[in-house]
Amino acid sequence: MNSFLQIGLGHFVALSLLVLAAGVATVLTKRNAIGILIGVELILNAAGINLVAFNALAWPTSAEAGAAVSAAAGALGQPALDGMVFTIFLIVLAAAEAAVALAIFLNFYNNFNSIDVEKANAMRG
Amino acid sequence: MDQIKWLIVTATLLPLLSSAAVIFLGKRVFGRATGWLATAVMAGSFGCAVAALWAWMAAGHPTIVWTVPWIPLNANGSWLYLGVLIDSLGIEMVVMVTLISTLVHLYSIGYMAGDSRFERFFSYLSLFTFAMLSIVTANSIVQLFVGWELVGLTSYLLIGFWFEKRGPQLACKKAFVMNRIGDTGFLIGFGILFYKLGGQLLLPAADGGMFVAIRQLIEAQGYSITNPPLWLTIAGIGLFCGAIGKSAQFPLHTWLPDAMEGPTPVSSIVHSATMVAAGVYLTGRIYPILTPQAHLFVATIGLVTLVMAAGMALVMTDIKRVLAYSTLSQLGYMVLGMGVGAYSFAIFHLITHAFFKCCLFQCAGSVIHAAHHEQDMKHYGGLIRKLPVTALCYGLCMLAIAGASIPYTTWGLSGFYSKDGIVAGAVNYGSALSALGTWANVFWIAPLAVAYVTPFYMARSFALTFLGRPRAQHLFDHAHEAPLTMLASQIVLATMAVVSGWWMWQNLAVESEEWFHSAGVSWVQSAAAIEAHHGHAMHRVHEALLQGWGWLASLGLGLLVYSFGMKISSQVVRLPLIHTLYTWAKNKYYFDELYDGVAVNIGKALAALAGGFDKHLIDGLVNFAGRAGRDTAHGVGRFDLAVVDGAVDGAAALAQDGGRWLRTSQSGRVRGYVLLMFVGLIAGTLALIFVALR
Repeated sequence: MNSFLQIGLGHFVALSLLVLAAGVATVLTKRNAIGILIGVELILNAAGINLVAFNALAWPTSAEAGAAVSAAAGALGQPALDGMVFTIFLIVLAAAEAAVALAIFLNFYNNFNSIDVEKANAMRG
Repeated sequence: MDQIKWLIVTATLLPLLSSAAVIFLGKRVFGRATGWLATAVMAGSFGCAVAALWAWMAAGHPTIVWTVPWIPLNANGSWLYLGVLIDSLGIEMVVMVTLISTLVHLYSIGYMAGDSRFERFFSYLSLFTFAMLSIVTANSIVQLFVGWELVGLTSYLLIGFWFEKRGPQLACKKAFVMNRIGDTGFLIGFGILFYKLGGQLLLPAADGGMFVAIRQLIEAQGYSITNPPLWLTIAGIGLFCGAIGKSAQFPLHTWLPDAMEGPTPVSSIVHSATMVAAGVYLTGRIYPILTPQAHLFVATIGLVTLVMAAGMALVMTDIKRVLAYSTLSQLGYMVLGMGVGAYSFAIFHLITHAFFKCCLFQCAGSVIHAAHHEQDMKHYGGLIRKLPVTALCYGLCMLAIAGASIPYTTWGLSGFYSKDGIVAGAVNYGSALSALGTWANVFWIAPLAVAYVTPFYMARSFALTFLGRPRAQHLFDHAHEAPLTMLASQIVLATMAVVSGWWMWQNLAVESEEWFHSAGVSWVQSAAAIEAHHGHAMHRVHEALLQGWGWLASLGLGLLVYSFGMKISSQVVRLPLIHTLYTWAKNKYYFDELYDGVAVNIGKALAALAGGFDKHLIDGLVNFAGRAGRDTAHGVGRFDLAVVDGAVDGAAALAQDGGRWLRTSQSGRVRGYVLLMFVGLIAGTLALIFVALR
């Protein structure tokens, strides 16, 4: 059951970490605003993977953790889908964020004739 | 009793009321009627005084006292009191003062007619009268001294009435200062008595505050007046010093002739009849406590004054100054009378002198008025043709002051009676004063001799003014008789000068004598007592001289010599010895120079010393304090700049530099911020894990 090859929570967390690292690296290295936006999307998705994975840990199905737990959850009448729902919200949030970010980029382009974030240093101290 | 008391109180307060009314309302309400108003009020006051005298005589000469509390001294119910003391000495002074004052008010209406401060003059005059009355009615020594100082003040105001001119300015100052010197003596005398006898001195007369009771207190304490302790003699002499100042006795006499700078009505009331008489009055008041030594002192002062002043009266050519020196001489007589024990005759002479000298001054004022304020007799002459009434009044008063009498009878003018009494007292004193040996005879020889000089210098002034040929034709042509108000006053006074002697000889002098005995003063025999004892024996000396032809010879010689102006006398004064005496007297025996040279220079030296002390020590201290303050302020300022401002500036600089440093982190590069964010996130997470694992 706990063998290395069996896919478990650890794999999901590792994936999430990889995606987060990729996202952060993208954000840090890209000068193009669109690139940064893509990095941010990656970071958000890393969080989404974590949410789904930990939902499975918190509310295991009977197949995974035995009948008692599931029965207890079922008896309480509570949905065992918290992580999933948050992930759905996260996707919506990411969509809204993308829309807002793209609107900002349009204005950015209007002002600086470019979407290179290095150019936007008017607020430098 | 009540009636007398209220009459005297009214008589005293009316002039004060009049003075206040005139000073506040005079110019605006009364205008030129002020003079008549003030005169009428004074006449009312005189009426009260006469009514009081009448009632007092009818009541059998009682001593009446009345007091009201005045100033609280402490919580135990001690007070200073105000009140009136009515006895023979007081009441005759009240009558005399109010009469003289009324006549002088009347006279001033004419004399001051053209003056721009007409109303103020009457206010001062009434105030002076009030002050004088408050002296003579004073019920305690304190009240007496208050009146005394009021007289000093008002005489200062009156002498300096024409303060625009240099002469009156100096004269009023001199009079004031000279009087202060005398008053210092008075205060010393009072202080000695107060120290020795205690608070009784502050009480009114009824409770033992005046000198009759003080004498009883002194004797009750075991002291003897005839064999007194030294302090009592000094106290008596100290109190008498007040009289020296006010009565212008030697050596404080120099203010009186200078005071002639004041308007002539002032001279006639202040410097002949009232203020200068206040000194004699005071001597009369303190008489019961004067010791034999103090008496000798008083008599000596009087003697020196009367001889010295007569000498100066002989040589002066300013008509008012002649009268001033003659006043000094007569005051000397009064003081001598007090000294030798002829108490009642001194007071008697005071009264008669008040009449004839006041009249003489008023006549002189009329002459000056007529002569357009020329006062030098060298420019007069023959004025009898222009001012017959004035000349008549002057002549009558001249006879009165000369002691004129019908030879070898007891009929004479007022001055005859009073001066005769004083000379008689002096003869008695001189013969009784064995301690001085032959020198004691000076006490009667000198006043007798001066009694013959008096007619001469009075005749001189009369002859130079009224007789002979006019020496200044222009002045003579414009001379005119004085207005009716002035003449009326002169005539009344001249009449009094002629008749008052005989009348008072019969009445008031005897009243004084009674007081004299009731006060228990018996160790010096009064002239009347001597007369009772010795009969005509003691008259041998002065009868032949004073009652004989002597006065007439002297008067006639004076008239004869000076009818020719200065022609004869100017030859006489060239004789060697006479010339020396003349120069000496003409320069007032150099007293002014002496006082200037000694007192004024000492004063100046003291002032310079005090000035140096002030400049170097006091100013030094002040400057040191100033410099110390300035230096401290500098220090504080530097501390402020360096420390306080430094702290404020430092805080600002810290904030600025810190801001500048922190600003560098705000690069504006988004990726930099993101990197920082993630590094912070990771560091924070690791820290959380680290904490959780512990």
